Amino acid sequence: MRGELDKIIDEKKLLLPILTEIQDREGYISEETVREVAKKIGIPMSKIFGAATFYSFLTTKPQGKYVIHICNSPSCYVNGSMNLIKVIEKELGIKSGETTDDGLFTLHIGSCIGCCDNAPAMLINDKEHFNLNKKKVKEILDRCRS
Amino acid sequence: MQILEKTGMKAWNKAVSMKPDDIINLIGEKKLIGRGGACFPTAKKWGFAKEQESDDKYLICNADEGEPGTFKDKFIMENNPENMIEGILIACYTIGAKQAYIYLRREYRYLEKGLKKIIIGMIKKSGTDINIEIILGAGAYICGEETAIINSIEGKRGEPYLKPPYPAVEGLFSKPTVIDNVETLANVPLVMFDENWNPDLRLFSLSGNLKKPGIYEAEVGITMGELMKMGRPDGKIKAVYFGCAGGCMSFKKDTKVDYDVIDKAGCMLGSCTVIAVNEKNSIVDMAAVIAKFFEFESCGKCTPCREGTMRILALLEKISLGYAKPKDIELLEELSIVIRDSALCGLGKSSTTHVLTALSNFRNEFEEKCR
Repeated sequence: MRGELDKIIDEKKLLLPILTEIQDREGYISEETVREVAKKIGIPMSKIFGAATFYSFLTTKPQGKYVIHICNSPSCYVNGSMNLIKVIEKELGIKSGETTDDGLFTLHIGSCIGCCDNAPAMLINDKEHFNLNKKKVKEILDRCRS
Repeated sequence: MQILEKTGMKAWNKAVSMKPDDIINLIGEKKLIGRGGACFPTAKKWGFAKEQESDDKYLICNADEGEPGTFKDKFIMENNPENMIEGILIACYTIGAKQAYIYLRREYRYLEKGLKKIIIGMIKKSGTDINIEIILGAGAYICGEETAIINSIEGKRGEPYLKPPYPAVEGLFSKPTVIDNVETLANVPLVMFDENWNPDLRLFSLSGNLKKPGIYEAEVGITMGELMKMGRPDGKIKAVYFGCAGGCMSFKKDTKVDYDVIDKAGCMLGSCTVIAVNEKNSIVDMAAVIAKFFEFESCGKCTPCREGTMRILALLEKISLGYAKPKDIELLEELSIVIRDSALCGLGKSSTTHVLTALSNFRNEFEEKCR
């Protein structure tokens, strides 16, 4: 990461895009990386941690290979998102914010993802999956596993 | 649909042949108002920023559409991003900005690549030295608020701050900044170019218990019955929610969907989001789901919102589970009013609109749970 960090900072310039790029490459934003970034751009580590922990798509903990953001806002809720969340929790044996032991999945129950006309919906690694039902969700999880 | 008409850079060509003041007068005369929810006249906003003397000015296109049930900006960026970009260029020319940012919500990351390509092509075609950059958000509802966007782009926590200073005077990197919504900017070329441009047309995001949810263009003032007819109700609709922040109303066919009427009902039409809820759903459970949203999205800066949204959620869960007493409804109402009156920003202030309007329209559902 060290050599690449200069390039990322040079290219992205602003902290939020820098952090997003780091997370894309590393999967999360580690303390070590925060320390390096702080040194290089000359702002306190605490400020960078402040930003890195503010957003629901940035994380300072390692994440699974597949990061699920399932929506439980009203449009998805009235179309049965709660049942799907239960299916996913049972299938994966984890709750929101947790990662499976095999490091394959991380689950986040979150806010609206703007797929309200195709509810219920979720994002897996920034890709939208919509018009979900129990069967579809199980198939998607199986595809990730294989 | 009016919003899908393409102007093909003709509006830009017209704009650069005009004086900035004349452009501002034109969009003022044609009554273009902000489509992000606050309905602020666009000409005024641009006028403030144009007057400022500064070497650097910025334009931010607010594509952080986060209000649950809203997906109109996504619709525009998928179906007519050219008009949005042309609008950005015209806005930059008018206020004298050389740098624009599109703050794109992280949930719409899949749009980033396509937008970038179109931006490069259009800038080339325009022959301007204005630069447009996409900044990807990272998942925070509050970053749709203009001062929070500024903090977020600057690399700080995306928390809002008290105005003044207003962004048009002192905004991004302390420079004059205009922040306009996607739909507003996409309308700019149409205002400039189309003689018959209709200022009352809005994009309604219809979702919830509907067989044909989607984006529908209609004039403000349409009746709720007509809106629902387009969306085709799934079951008997009992309530409509204007997103999470806009509150709820009993569904009545004849309700006129315009800003004043909805406002008088204690709700907020905002960005024209309508979520239909049928009678199979409990309003108490809806309230708990929405309260969870605000508890999760509260940025934590001010106490009324940080602590209040958490307490509201706890009270609603208690009521929903049947452990509450009638006294708890009074407490819920009182706390909702306190949060509304004392929170720092729009998120906090509107976080209990749904509770207060649910209590005035569906109080019996809460009382039944508290016996």
